[in-house]
Amino acid sequence: MLRRRVVATVALVVAVVGRASAHGGSLAEGVREPLTIPTWLFLSTGGAAVGASFLLASFVTDRSLIGAIHDWRRSVPVPARRALVGVARALGIAGLVVVVVAGYFGPDEPRANAAILLVWVGWWAGLSMSAYLLGDSWAVLNPWRTVADLLPSLDLRYPDRFGAWPSVLGLLGLVFLEVVSPLAENASLLATTVLAYTVVTLLGAVLVGPDTWFGQVDPPARVFRYYGRVAPITADEDGLHLRLPGTALSERRLVDGRDEVAFVVALLWVTTFDGFVATPAWGDVARPLVRAGLPPLATYLLGMLVGFALFSSIYFLAAELARRSADTFLTPAALAERFAPPLLAIVAGYHLAHYLDYFLGLAPALAEALVAPLATREAILTLPIPGWFGGVSLASIIVGHLLAIWVAHAAAYDLFPGRLQAIRSQYPFIAVMVVYTMTSLWVVSQPDAPLPFL
Amino acid sequence: MNEQDDYHVPPTESVYECEYCGRPFAREEWRALHRGIEHADGLDDEEVEQFREAYGDEGESLRLFRLKALGVLVVLYFCLLMIYAVV
Repeated sequence: MLRRRVVATVALVVAVVGRASAHGGSLAEGVREPLTIPTWLFLSTGGAAVGASFLLASFVTDRSLIGAIHDWRRSVPVPARRALVGVARALGIAGLVVVVVAGYFGPDEPRANAAILLVWVGWWAGLSMSAYLLGDSWAVLNPWRTVADLLPSLDLRYPDRFGAWPSVLGLLGLVFLEVVSPLAENASLLATTVLAYTVVTLLGAVLVGPDTWFGQVDPPARVFRYYGRVAPITADEDGLHLRLPGTALSERRLVDGRDEVAFVVALLWVTTFDGFVATPAWGDVARPLVRAGLPPLATYLLGMLVGFALFSSIYFLAAELARRSADTFLTPAALAERFAPPLLAIVAGYHLAHYLDYFLGLAPALAEALVAPLATREAILTLPIPGWFGGVSLASIIVGHLLAIWVAHAAAYDLFPGRLQAIRSQYPFIAVMVVYTMTSLWVVSQPDAPLPFL
Repeated sequence: MNEQDDYHVPPTESVYECEYCGRPFAREEWRALHRGIEHADGLDDEEVEQFREAYGDEGESLRLFRLKALGVLVVLYFCLLMIYAVV
């Protein structure tokens, strides 16, 4: 905590990395610019844009057209696939080694440290982007998976009722840790965290088997897999399979069960929470609570859990309302599953809005640090980002929403025989999307405040 | 979760089940539409006729919906235009 405060002062000088990467999934920094219109108008325009695009989508009622768009596929065989996979796995392991070694022995300056750059710029920003823009490569790169596959496994039975819940808790826990600790400035702390994660992950994989562990429990594996569903490319033994971006999200059973729905909502919520804690409003909520005797860390935890409960209950309420507006015998749980994947397109849009300029700006520094991970540097190589780039960020938020609305539309047409029924079923979910959009735009429009008590 | 768990039919409601796959629907015309979409190959003449009828009826209410949606879009557009002109 004390360290955090000292770092925060230093970070004002090292503004770009220090602040931006201090918030993993945040949508705040990249887009935060002074507004020339009142906030309420900015928010209503955003909400209206989402509502209007739903109305526009509702004009498309031709099942065969929707079907043709979503069924379009091409397959490309990959030559020397085994060799490529082997190279990718070796790269993943090398990356892990660099993070640990550079974390402990690399330069103190965060923007020159290969561990910090590789984790935040390369992995959390860059690889995530490639996962939803191109395809999920983490499934192959994941060094823990590579090691776990070599280890013997006890293959203990994983209780079915746990489902994806451990990964929901893990995701909330990891993002909480990342918000309240200086993981983005302190390389040795980052390396220690990575080592601790390594122990937990390998132990888990040995106990229940790598397939179950990375399929059910491991939060990053699930995040990348879900991001990969937005992307146009999937890979398997037969080669690469191409689809139009986002069209895979309308498939049945992509999100299965309440636990997996909760994970999608959690991913959306942590993206918002990361930005929210840096708004003045969070300080106004947190200060009275801490003054009343609640420890600061507990206040952050409480804020995170209350917000998650709020986001989830709004979503499940929408599912219940959708059952009524569509007059269907499908259960709210089944509807919640079917309309959850579109939210992933929204999450991807926010992620891109926040991280594209951050990634491009620091990509040269990352490349330089990887060439010589332990060398100290006088000057840090960055790419200057022009002012108009803020427009690209806002555009990616809008594109994410448009994609989400289209996918929800296609899912509804797959689900309901009546065309008007399919449109009506979407009303509550569109209302939820409007609420989420306005919340996120509100976060984006707020001035950046230092995190209270950290 | 399997396909059957996705449905819950309250005992008091009238239900129209698809004879081909057992899926329950709240309205007869939705069942007719469902049969035409999912089981088009196995239908007899009467079922085809029911599908055509339901599809045609739906087309009319869909046209009305489109008019309303267009109206809402126009109102939304002009409201925002006015507000932006004033603010």
